[in-house]
Amino acid sequence: MSTFATEWYLIAIIMFTGFYCMLVSRSIVRQLVGLEIVSKGAMLTLISAGALTNNLVMAQALLITMIVIEVVVVAAGLALLVKNFRVNGSADMWKLNGLKG
Amino acid sequence: MTYHTLLFLFTAIFAVWAVMARKLLTSAIMLALVSVCVALIFFDFGAPWAGVFELSVCAGLITVLFVGAVSLVRTVEEKSPENRTRFQALPPALAIFAIAAWFYLPPFLDELAGWARPGTGGGTIGLALWDMRRPDLLGQVLMLAAGVFVIKSVFPRRTENK
Amino acid sequence: MDKGLLAYLLIPLFAAVIIPFAARCRRKLADIIAAVTLLAGLANLAWLVLRPSVINGGFADIPGDGLSLLLVATIYLIGLCVTFFSAWFMDEELPNRPAYYSLILVSVAAMTGVVTTSDFFTLYVFIEVLAVTTFALITTDESAGGIEGALKYFFLTFPASALIIAGLAVLLLTLGSLSFENLRIFMASDIPSGPVTFGAALMLLGFLIKSGVVPFHAWTPDAYQGAYAPVSAHLAGIVTKISGVYAIVKLATLLRFFDGRAQGLSGMLMFLGMLSIAVGALAALRQKDFKRMLAFSSISQVGYIVLAAGLGTPLAIMGAVFHLVNHATFKTVLFLNSASLERSAGTTDMDKLGGLEHSMPWTSWTSVVALLSTAGVPPLSGFWSKLLIILALWESGFKTYAVLALLFSIVTLAYFMVMQRKVFFGLKTRAAENSPEVSAPLLAPVVLLSAVIVALGLLFPYFYTYVRVVTERIIL
Repeated sequence: MSTFATEWYLIAIIMFTGFYCMLVSRSIVRQLVGLEIVSKGAMLTLISAGALTNNLVMAQALLITMIVIEVVVVAAGLALLVKNFRVNGSADMWKLNGLKG
Repeated sequence: MTYHTLLFLFTAIFAVWAVMARKLLTSAIMLALVSVCVALIFFDFGAPWAGVFELSVCAGLITVLFVGAVSLVRTVEEKSPENRTRFQALPPALAIFAIAAWFYLPPFLDELAGWARPGTGGGTIGLALWDMRRPDLLGQVLMLAAGVFVIKSVFPRRTENK
Repeated sequence: MDKGLLAYLLIPLFAAVIIPFAARCRRKLADIIAAVTLLAGLANLAWLVLRPSVINGGFADIPGDGLSLLLVATIYLIGLCVTFFSAWFMDEELPNRPAYYSLILVSVAAMTGVVTTSDFFTLYVFIEVLAVTTFALITTDESAGGIEGALKYFFLTFPASALIIAGLAVLLLTLGSLSFENLRIFMASDIPSGPVTFGAALMLLGFLIKSGVVPFHAWTPDAYQGAYAPVSAHLAGIVTKISGVYAIVKLATLLRFFDGRAQGLSGMLMFLGMLSIAVGALAALRQKDFKRMLAFSSISQVGYIVLAAGLGTPLAIMGAVFHLVNHATFKTVLFLNSASLERSAGTTDMDKLGGLEHSMPWTSWTSVVALLSTAGVPPLSGFWSKLLIILALWESGFKTYAVLALLFSIVTLAYFMVMQRKVFFGLKTRAAENSPEVSAPLLAPVVLLSAVIVALGLLFPYFYTYVRVVTERIIL
């Protein structure tokens, strides 16, 4: 097994962990943790692909943009969490079932 | 087992730990450690700029934000703890996934690696960002503006109806 | 990136930054700046495309690939209508009023970025900006439903983004670059396309989640129903179409579905499209809430676009692009009308409404126009796009799909008839008794869009010429 294959195999495991967390957890904070883990896995795929193809400079440029995006997304997600906490008084995803049809 | 693979392994371990942790605070700290590992991987790949950004922004700023949010919701969260069995099912599920993937993924990934098309790889990071990825910089500006407006919209300043 | 259209991105961004400062002096300035910016952009676009010399020349000298221009015009039109509507709809005392207009303008700028870019990563960046602005918009009125919709939207779009990034990594690996042009050249060559198709499949999966196609539609009805009323028009009309469906159409042309490369992907897209048509239409039949029914109808209409994109022949792409534009107009009319209903009658529950035809004639009749167009009744615009899609299916030998698409178009008519009878015709209920027609400014955007629907249907030959130019440019 090449280094590349090992890397991507482990990345697949990391992403599986993140998705599993998002799937089973009720707490919004924990879901955000899962989201972070998934996006870390996505970042690793990019840098690994860039390193394999000798395209590191470009991969790095993409990663810097991605990190900026991630900060805003997480900050916005936490803002939403705090607002939900103020309005509904809980941080529980599954208690939200007001909308049905 | 090289240093490189070890870093990937540590990332995976910390990720599992972050998911399994009983306390949300532990979870946030483990997430920071995942970030640190990812940053070390970036350094190891020879991508120092991305590493510095990852270390300062993801491991630093995001952790601070997380800890702040956790301290806010912790009291409520501890009153109604989550069902632990689902989280305890993670290691077996992960093991099943890992074993299944062990048979199917490596040959596929090796084939994928065979398709790699080597690039030129020249230039510096600053030039690459400015020359090739200028629309992305515009996107970053737009993203930061959006972030500011999101915070303004979610937490408006209430002057009238206090 | 299309340099000529860059101004359409920068000016709304600039206006969005100015708004908070302007609103500090006069609160009303916020809506005025937003509406004027969008109106100016729209006028500029109209001048670019609708000059008699350009029309007579068969649209040969429009800049770029034409698709960006058409979509930018649609984005500005919907944005203008939503802004204008909100200016009168919104509570004067709402504390986040200036931020709301800034967010609308930023989302217009981001959508312009999405449709003008020529690089997958830039596309991803702008889609993320769009998603972030959108879920802040959904929670504008701070209701519990809005927050719930926003959270569901949040936790389904961002994992989808991770899938898109993984797909991008595979593309970077196998193509060495992420520009649209490289993918097009690669697919036109004879190199086996296996790994590239794998990367594209990951990206397609992400975009399918973002556009709310059926197995991944869990977030759509909640987000549309819970959203602040004018925002749900913005969201259903244009945002999800640009953030998901546009990318699918673009990928379909770049992967050259029309000459049989990446056949598996093409088949999968067509199947999912058909599934969403069916599930969306059948679920819409048994909804009690007006907005929720519209949301399911939206899923069903997106199915038509995805079905056509999956087929990928020039005629089908023409139908997909046309239906994208049509869907933006008629769904915005319907959602804005639902907002009017909410304002006037105080509810959108269809069981409580009835006989609004007499008390709210304008709302009622614009809704009729929009829903007949959705159901594909000639000579309205929706008829032509559905006709193109069904013809393309029949021509390529997918006769089962063609018949099913036609059949579900009739189901669409059925559920809209049920809705129409419950809400607008029939006996007056107690809620309808004291619900006066909404004021003229709230009706203006709806009437304008209805006029656009009728005009697109009646002036179809001109529009057909334009869309054909577009299709020739993006496919070849």
